[in-house]
Formats: sequence, structure tokens, C-alpha cells
Amino acid sequence: MNTATSYDKQIIENDDPMENPDFKTVGTTTVSDPAMTCRGVNVFYADKQAIFDVSIDVGKNEVLSMIGPSGCGKSTLLRCLNRMNDTIDICKVEGEIKLEGENIYEQNLDVVLLRARVGMVFQKPNPFPKSVYDNVAYGVNLHGLATDKAHLDELVEKSLTNAGLWNEVKDRLHQPGTGLSGGQQQRLCIARAIAISPEIILMDEPCSALDPIATAKIEELIDELSKQYSICIVTHSMQQAARVSQRTAYFHLGKLIEVGPTDDIFTNPVHKLTEGYITGRFG
Amino acid sequence: MNTLETINAGIEKRYKREKRFRLYGQISIATGILFLFFLLGTTVLNGISAFQQTYIALEIVLDTDQFDTDEDGDIRPESLATANYNGIIRESLKARFPDVKKRKDKKALYSILSSGAVYDFRDTVVKNPQMIGTTQTIWLLADDEVDMYVKGKISADIPEKNRRIKDNTIAWVEQLRADKDVEKRFNSIFFSAGDSREPEQSGIRGAIMGSFYTIVVAMLLSFPIGVAAAIYLEEFAPRNRLTGLIEVNINNLAAVPSIIFGLLGLAIFINYFGLPRSIPLVGGMVLALMTLPTIIISSRAALAAVPPSIREAALGVGASQIQTVLHHTMPLALPGMLTGTIIGLARALGETAPLLVIGMVAFIVDIPGSPLEPSTALPVQVYLWADSPERAFVERTSAAIMVLLMFLVAINGLIVILRNKLERRW
Amino acid sequence: MTTQSEGHIFKRFDKEMQQLHALVLQMGELAADQLQQSLKTLENEDPQTAQQVIENDARLNALDIQADEEITTMIAKRQPMAKDLREIIAVSKIVAELERSGDEARKIAGLTIRFFQPEDNHPPGEEILRDIFSLSEYVAEMLILSMKAFDTLNLSIAAEVLIKGQKLDGQLDSCLRRLSTFIMQDSRNIGHFIDIVLGIRALERFGGHATNIAGHIVFIKNGTDVRHVGDSAILASIKENQS
Repeated sequence: MNTATSYDKQIIENDDPMENPDFKTVGTTTVSDPAMTCRGVNVFYADKQAIFDVSIDVGKNEVLSMIGPSGCGKSTLLRCLNRMNDTIDICKVEGEIKLEGENIYEQNLDVVLLRARVGMVFQKPNPFPKSVYDNVAYGVNLHGLATDKAHLDELVEKSLTNAGLWNEVKDRLHQPGTGLSGGQQQRLCIARAIAISPEIILMDEPCSALDPIATAKIEELIDELSKQYSICIVTHSMQQAARVSQRTAYFHLGKLIEVGPTDDIFTNPVHKLTEGYITGRFG
Repeated sequence: MNTLETINAGIEKRYKREKRFRLYGQISIATGILFLFFLLGTTVLNGISAFQQTYIALEIVLDTDQFDTDEDGDIRPESLATANYNGIIRESLKARFPDVKKRKDKKALYSILSSGAVYDFRDTVVKNPQMIGTTQTIWLLADDEVDMYVKGKISADIPEKNRRIKDNTIAWVEQLRADKDVEKRFNSIFFSAGDSREPEQSGIRGAIMGSFYTIVVAMLLSFPIGVAAAIYLEEFAPRNRLTGLIEVNINNLAAVPSIIFGLLGLAIFINYFGLPRSIPLVGGMVLALMTLPTIIISSRAALAAVPPSIREAALGVGASQIQTVLHHTMPLALPGMLTGTIIGLARALGETAPLLVIGMVAFIVDIPGSPLEPSTALPVQVYLWADSPERAFVERTSAAIMVLLMFLVAINGLIVILRNKLERRW
Repeated sequence: MTTQSEGHIFKRFDKEMQQLHALVLQMGELAADQLQQSLKTLENEDPQTAQQVIENDARLNALDIQADEEITTMIAKRQPMAKDLREIIAVSKIVAELERSGDEARKIAGLTIRFFQPEDNHPPGEEILRDIFSLSEYVAEMLILSMKAFDTLNLSIAAEVLIKGQKLDGQLDSCLRRLSTFIMQDSRNIGHFIDIVLGIRALERFGGHATNIAGHIVFIKNGTDVRHVGDSAILASIKENQS
């Protein structure tokens, strides 16, 4: 109730005709070939609502970027997609999130299996304090994906190659992963995620701790990965969203304001709030 | 006055204040070091002499007559142990000091040797039967009063009635000294014997073993339980009123006086479960109870210090919560957990009060061979000796303290080594 | 709270945009002025001033270069998005249109020099030049209107320019028809005729640039590229967006 009132107040303050309580998302939220679908998702932290009735699809082999000011709920929504929010006791998710037609918030759904299918890359590069090899092999061993040592070696090499890291680390596979540079660490984390062949990779501001060159490498990698995986990326850099994604969703105060092809969003957004955000006219 | 002038006006005052504050800090550190030196200094000065012990050389005639012989004139083996060694020694002493005639003086003469000397002598002969029939110079353990006099702890200038060692004894010792028949040797008894009423025969081995068993029991109980509790509370337990209450209670328990734990152990382990008194098992269990809060608190802190990004990484690749903890969080928190455990156990090692309550203060001569045999512990031994009237126990008390401190230093060194070895950067 | 604010968070961006805006207006004014000066020389039969007008075109070219530099710098430094991006791209094009408008005005000044050289005894009659004057007035107004539309980003004024552009073709046809009757009357006029047609052609181009500018304004405002869809379709899209 508390939030509802503060929200009403917000509208009055804004005095914006586009932002009324029965506000509808601008643009096409659905795609013809979705890997994941969200319908009417509401997320609460205790009694504070963080996400309001969001419906959006993540298409197969597409990069969907989610942008918006801090606290707009984009990271929260991303974390709902592989139930990382489960670790927060007070977090409650309503609505329907389906992976290949299966509701991931079903009681009997196995979270471990879900996270094997929906991988995640985090804001800060977070390799395990183990060797490069063990970092990649960890998930593989966890899910018993390798039949023997040779197969494991092969999977590790393939993942590191696909993450564009193999040539840089092949001579120091057994040195600690934490000894790599920031960009290499983040690519190691991506290698770790793709080693278990997920269907979707979620990325939560993957370049925010990296320098521009490392960022460019990651972006190139995202482009490369989108041939095989569906990728959902949260980013604070609008240029990054513009560069890597095919579709862009703009969030504001927990609501999905506008979603559409990236080309349109960045040249000719429909909603005033979207326009204000991406052109830098935001109070 | 402009800004710069205002700043300049105050700057000298600020510097002065800074200097003053630094001085206070240096004074406190110096005071602390002074106290430490005082403590260590008195302990070492008092105790260092306990690592030596006075021996007296006696020429002893080992006549074959003293032993039972068989038909062939060979000595019966069983008579080796039963011969009158006391008589032999007394004869030798009488031969050494032929002037002593009076019965009272003779008795005083005999007592310059320790009452345990005769057993040492017997053991030597039993081990070397070929000595029989010859005359041997044998070093025998001196009495504690003689020992004190030789070490200079008792002065001959004190009026005779004010000291336990009498003038004639001093005269004999001086005579022996002049003949170079008095010697100070390394005190191996101190490290190999159990407690004794006679200071010169008492050692700390029993206490060390008792402490060892107690600490091993305490460690085996408290480490797994403490770590498991910490992991559950930190990683799994929901945050609600109940866990909050538990947390507050654990924090309070860490501050409960140790004697309360002793009384608890007495009530539960001994009175209710009927376990024997004075055994290291019970002592260990009581100390485990006492150490648990410390271990839980430090283990939780160590777990909380593991960056959440590591947990996210593990959960993100599909590890279950328990796998995340066992594969990642716990190994990273282990150095912190171990540090907490060892600090807790080091405190337990020096703990006296709860052991007194459960009866580990008893006078026990035998060296315990298992946690189920009655024994005492190092700090309790210190307490017992500090309570004894004999002058010679004073230096032994200090020596025992030195040994205890040595163990604590060793344990702290172990922490540093463990931490450096296990600590991983992330 | 996070609401849309009037200006850009980075205030210097707004300032730079304003500067660019003013530069475009200045160029528009200059282009229109050049056309009017050219006509005046034609009216006054003054080849010296005409030469002056031709030389003045260099000022327009200099402003064009300045504007291009500012635009490049702004794109490099600010990475404009959405409306800002469209505006900068459109301004870049408008600037080019204005520069070319200046070139067309210069051609009219060129006519004065050709017609009224002191040794030339056969200047064209006022009758023949009448079409140039009437058409010039028409296209000059188109440019002024398009600048007004740009200044206020007013789509209805832009629509007015577009409608005028549509009518321009008809005017051109009637001019040519009238000119051919003059040729038939007096064959001596044939030498001037080609120059006059080229002049009319230049004015038609001048009007065309103004129409294009109006199209770019529609792009800034609506984000739709209307250059090659025909003016009637543009008008339809303007109406659609306004309703």
C-alpha cells in the first residue's frame, strides 16, 4: 500500500500524461520465436514493489539489452530469469516466466537445472580463486557433463576458445584465474558460463568494471555468442546497448516503458521518458 | 583576514595536537611493554633455575654380601630389587662423614639426599648388575632444601631458626662442594615425572599430557560443531526473530565467566551422566562448551567476509547451496575459522577455573595415558604448586608458567603459519 | 526524482546545440540575402555590385565549413542519441542545402554580369526578366519560411514550404511557356533566352533546397525520412503526426 501511494504521488509530481496508473508498455514486447517469456511479472522486496506488471520476450539467438536509470528494476528482472533472487529471503516474484514453455517458478522445478540452462555473468568479474582450468571445469563437473578427463579437457578448451581466451591462457591453464587481467577474468567467467552449454546467458552490466579495450573485446564476444545463445544484457552504457543488441527495453521506476528494435530506440524512441533518458535529458 | 590566514593561524595548534596524540600513544605502548617485561622478567628469573637440579656424588661400596646368592655364588635376580639399598647409601654417607655420631645428626645427614635417590640408585644397579662387588662413584639426587642452598636461594646468613636447612647440613654441603662432589645438572625429572610431594621429584609431564588430552577432546568437539553451527546460521538459517535470539545468546555466552561452564559441566556430565571426575574427557567437553561461542562468532565473521560475488558465481553455474558452501565459501573462510578456533583453544589451554570445578585439581602422580584417566592440566598444576609451602616449588611454579607460555607462543606461531598458508586472495 | 528535464544534463551540450542552431539561421539569412542582393543588381543593372555578391558567397562557404567542423566535434564528443542525433544529422544536411542555395544565388548575380557589361548594347528587356523577379520572390520566401520552421521546429510552417514547393513546378512551366512566346516575337532574344532559362533553373533549385530543408525538419521532428517519398506523402505524414 505504501508503495502505491508513493507511486501516485510520483504521477502528480511528474504531471506526465504518458505516466498514468494504467500505463501500457510502448512497442512490441513479443517475438515470434521466444526462448523465454515473461508475462505480468511483479516483484516485491518485502512490501516494496520493485517491478510492475512487466511482460517481455527474450528471442532465440538475439541480444536483448535492458537499459534504464539505477533502481529501475532491470537487474531485478534479470535475476528473476534464473531465480538468483531466491537467495534473498524477502524477494517475492509474481506472474509467469517461462523457459521453453515451462514456468520456472513452478514448485517442483529444479533450480540447479534451471541455472544450468540459464547461465549468468556478473557485474564484477568473479572467477573462483582456483586455476583457470578449474574455473571452467567446475560447472562441467558439477553437472557431470564430461565423460572422462580427455572429454573434460576438450570442453574446457572449447569454452575458452569460444570465449576468445584460449590463446591468451593456454600456457597458464593451471595458474590462478584471479591472476588474469579484469577483461580476461570477465571472459573467463563467460567461458565458465558457456562451458555448461546454457540456452540463455544473462549478463548483469558485464563491462562496468572494465576498460574500453576490454569492453570492446567483450562486446565482440557477445556478438559472436549471439549466433549460438540467446543473450539478455543489462547495461548502463547506452552506447553498449546500441552496439551489441538487436532489441532494447527501457525500464523506469520498475516499469517497462518501451521495447523495440535497438535501431529504432536509439534514433527515434516513441516514449518521452525513453527519449529523455537516452538523450541525457533527465532530472 | 582571508581564508589562508585563518588556516595558517590554526595550523600550528593542529600540528601540536597531532604530536601530543602521538605521544600519548607511544606512552601507552611503552607502559604495555614495560608490564610485559616485568611479568616475563620475574617469571624467567624465578623459574630459570628450576631447569637445573643439584646432584651429590657418593662413593658407594657394593658388597656382594648385601645380595642373596645361589649355590654357585651368583646373585639371585629377584634379590636385585629387594636388597637394602637404603642401608648401602647410609653406610656410604657415614663413611663419607665419619665425624657424625649422634643419632639426630645422622638422620639429618641422611636427609641431604632426596627420598627418591634410593630408587634411582636401585634402578641403576638393576640395570648394571656387574657393578656389584665394586666401588662406584654415583651421583645421587639432592634434597630440595640442599638444592635451594646450592642454587643460592637460601642464604647461610639468615639465623638458623628462620631457615629449614640447618647449620650442620650446610657444613656438610660445603665440605662436599670443596671436594667437587656437588654438581648442578639439567633437570630431566621436571619434564619426565608427574606431580610429587617432594619438589625435587616433581615434574610437569602429567600436567602436559592432561592438558594435551583435554585440548584434543575440546578441539575435536568444538571445531566441527562450531563450524557447522556457524555455516548454518550464516548461510542457511532464515533471518527471523528466533535466529536473532540465538545470535544474541551466542554473543552473550562468549562473555559468560568460565567457572559457570565448569559448574554446568559438573552438573550435567558428572552428576547427571555420571562420568568420572578429574578426567580430561570431561575437562575437554567443558572447555569445548566454553570455546564454542568464540568459534561460532569468528567462523561466522570469516564466512561473512567471503565476497558475495563468489557465492553468486557458484550459484550462477548451478551449484546447490550446500555445494556452494562446501566448494567455495568454506575453503575461503577456513583460515579465519581456524584462527578463531586456535585463539579459542589457546584461551582454553590457559583456563583453570572450570577444571577446578570438575575435579582436575586432584593430586595425581601418575602420568595419564588416555583421556579417561584422572589427570591435571598445566594451569591447574601452576595453581597447585603456587599453593605449596616448599621453597623449591616457587621456582617450579615459574618454570611451569614458562612452559605454558611457550605452548601459547607455539600455538600463536601455528596460527600465523596456517593463515599464511591457507589464505587465498580473491 | 527522475523526470524528464528541460535541458540536457550536460549544459554545454545545450549551448553547443544552440550555437549550431544560430549558425544555421545565420546561414539561411545570408543565403536569402545573397539572392535578394543578386536581384537588386539585376534590377539596377549593376555588374560591379554583382561581382561583390559573388565574392560574398565565400562567407557562406566559410560558415558551411565551420558548421561541419562543429557537427563532427559534437558527434565525436557527445555521441548524441535519438532526437539529438536526428537534429545533428539534419542540421548537417540543412547546412549543405544552404551552401548550395548560396551557389544558386550566385548564378543570378552572374546573370547581371553577363547581361549588363558596358560594351554590350543589347541588354534583355524588362519583360523578359519579369519571370526571374517573380520566381525569386517566391523561392526567397520559401527559404525564409523554412528557416522559420527550423527555428521553431514548427511542422505546419514546414508543410507550408512543402506546399509551395509543389506549386513551384507549375510556376516553372508557365514561365517557360511565356518565355517561348517572347522568342517567337523577337528572335534577337534567343541569346538571352538560354541565360534566362538557366537562371530560372537556378531559382527552381533554390526552391528545391528550401523544400529539402523542410523535409529535414520533418525528420528532426518525426524521425521519418521523407525525402524520396513525394511531397504529398510528406504532407500526409505530417498531418498524421499532428493529429
